[in-house]
Amino acid sequence: MISSRLLFFAALALALTAPAGAEAVLTGRVVLPKPTAAPVRSQRYEIVTKGGAVATNPPLAVVYLEGVFPPAATPPRAQLAQKDLTFVPSLLPVRAGTMVEFPNQDDTYHNIFSFSPAKRFDLGRYRAEERPVPTQRFDTPGLVTLRCDIHEHMRALILVLDTPHFVLSEPDGRYRLGGLPAGRYLLKVWIDSKTTRERPVELTDGATLTVDFP
Amino acid sequence: MRRVGLIGGMIALAATAWPAESFLDRVDEALTGAWLQNKVHVRLSGALDLEGYRSTLPAPGLVLADGRDLFNPRLSLFFDAQYGAHVYAFVGARADHGFDPDTGRAQVRLDEYALRLTPWAGRRAGVQLGKFSTVVGNWMPRHGSWDNPFVTAPLPYENLTGIWDDAAVRTGRVLLAWAGVRPRPVRGGVLQDKRRSVPIVWGPSYASGAAIFGGVGKFDAAFEVKNAALSSRPEQWDVAQVQWQHPTYSGRIGYRPDARWNIGFSASTGCYLQAAAAATLPGGTRLDDFRETVLAHDIGFAWHRVQVWAEVYRARFAIPRVGPADTTAYYLETKVKFSPRWFGALRWNQQFFSTVRDLDGTQVRWGREVARFDAAVGHRFTPQVQAKLQCSWQHEDAEQHAGRRQISAQLTTRF
Repeated sequence: MISSRLLFFAALALALTAPAGAEAVLTGRVVLPKPTAAPVRSQRYEIVTKGGAVATNPPLAVVYLEGVFPPAATPPRAQLAQKDLTFVPSLLPVRAGTMVEFPNQDDTYHNIFSFSPAKRFDLGRYRAEERPVPTQRFDTPGLVTLRCDIHEHMRALILVLDTPHFVLSEPDGRYRLGGLPAGRYLLKVWIDSKTTRERPVELTDGATLTVDFP
Repeated sequence: MRRVGLIGGMIALAATAWPAESFLDRVDEALTGAWLQNKVHVRLSGALDLEGYRSTLPAPGLVLADGRDLFNPRLSLFFDAQYGAHVYAFVGARADHGFDPDTGRAQVRLDEYALRLTPWAGRRAGVQLGKFSTVVGNWMPRHGSWDNPFVTAPLPYENLTGIWDDAAVRTGRVLLAWAGVRPRPVRGGVLQDKRRSVPIVWGPSYASGAAIFGGVGKFDAAFEVKNAALSSRPEQWDVAQVQWQHPTYSGRIGYRPDARWNIGFSASTGCYLQAAAAATLPGGTRLDDFRETVLAHDIGFAWHRVQVWAEVYRARFAIPRVGPADTTAYYLETKVKFSPRWFGALRWNQQFFSTVRDLDGTQVRWGREVARFDAAVGHRFTPQVQAKLQCSWQHEDAEQHAGRRQISAQLTTRF
């Protein structure tokens, strides 16, 4: 009798402390493409240089949940820096409407530009110490390829998504997408500009669902 | 005019039908590789240039056209390799009708190759060996068709003087004739004379040799020993043609107070006459007695969408039987990006000459003084495809060539 009462109160306490409509979690693994070779920095006509190879960026995937979600109360902000003559990070997923800052952390000029239909801009040449840091707002979903007009080898991607629920995979392909509302959605994974895979998922409150993309 | 229209039409058609950005990015990735556990990184890249020129005769600068129109296609291939942090090498080869816009037969040349060693990690210092652009001045980093906002080079790099490098003059009068000062040249002879004349600096001057370089704080310096003078023609740059019997010494000291400014002082001295000229020298003199000595000052400024460059060159040619002959050339150039796709550029160039003694004892300027205004507009269709249109107006203090005009168009696809 005592034990059944204890069990009842324990269950009641658990129900009261757990949030109503606990968020779902998606985990899994994406098979990523083979790494590409790091770009070679052309230094043919710039003789006084430090030398050195450009860092290799491993392939990463963006996992995101497609559905209808309420708009953000304030425009989200993100940052994509230029450091050691590379973009950091080399792949940045953002929600549509995000303000992205492009701080220059090198001691030389950079000139970031994009000809992509989703966002066409040219920041001009700017230094590390310039304020305000050049910023662009990305409103249109799609893929934006960033380049530097001075350093031909520099390239990065901004994936503009119409969802607040996305995550960048680990270099080994594993991902964890938390804080998801229950419901039926399309789970998508962006692997490269030619490859996007998708799976319908049904999320329930407090549950963890594992979805792999072989 | 029909030919120019045809070239313009070809450029427009090519530009609209050109491969998409993503296709050329995939080509770029396919041409990049790594070996030896990612220690060796290599990249093959290139550019296809389709150029057209329409000039009032004779065509100015190093455009070696025998008619009013010239179509000049060029394929450039580059190979860049990086081994670890300390070894960098590059090779550049071109297939075209001549190093400068020409009507000659198609040819393939190995224009550039070099090995660069930067032995100290994190320091801007090292040595470079090979056949590579000169360290003098500030035009070299933008002399490629993609980076040059114009189709042609600034005046000091292409305006041909009265100096011939394959023969020594017999008198000051001959020098004046070669320079087209007196008597006035006949039209048919101008192109032949152009093929024997030299400018202050011949384009990027890919002569062969070695350079050492280093940088400390806001200062940097580079010095080179090459096989040919700054004014020497492309055939003289190849070590198979000319070795180092008459070395040219050049250097530049640079100061960069911050990323916006780049200020430099350069100097060079070298024998400008070819070996073929030895037989025409005065008795008791050697080729090394007749040098081109150059002093130059350059300044560059960049801020947001504006870039400005200026250079002034003072060159002295020691001329057999005549003595020193000086010339000064300068230019002021600016490029402005109007939008991600459109840019414009303006350039003002001038060249002046000192005097030499004519047969009648009078002092006469040994070259036709030149003023040239260049205006260009460019459009980038994609990050790899670009078109430029340049108009040039040149004035010389000679009746026959008082006003020359040239329209140049260039479509570049890089990969």
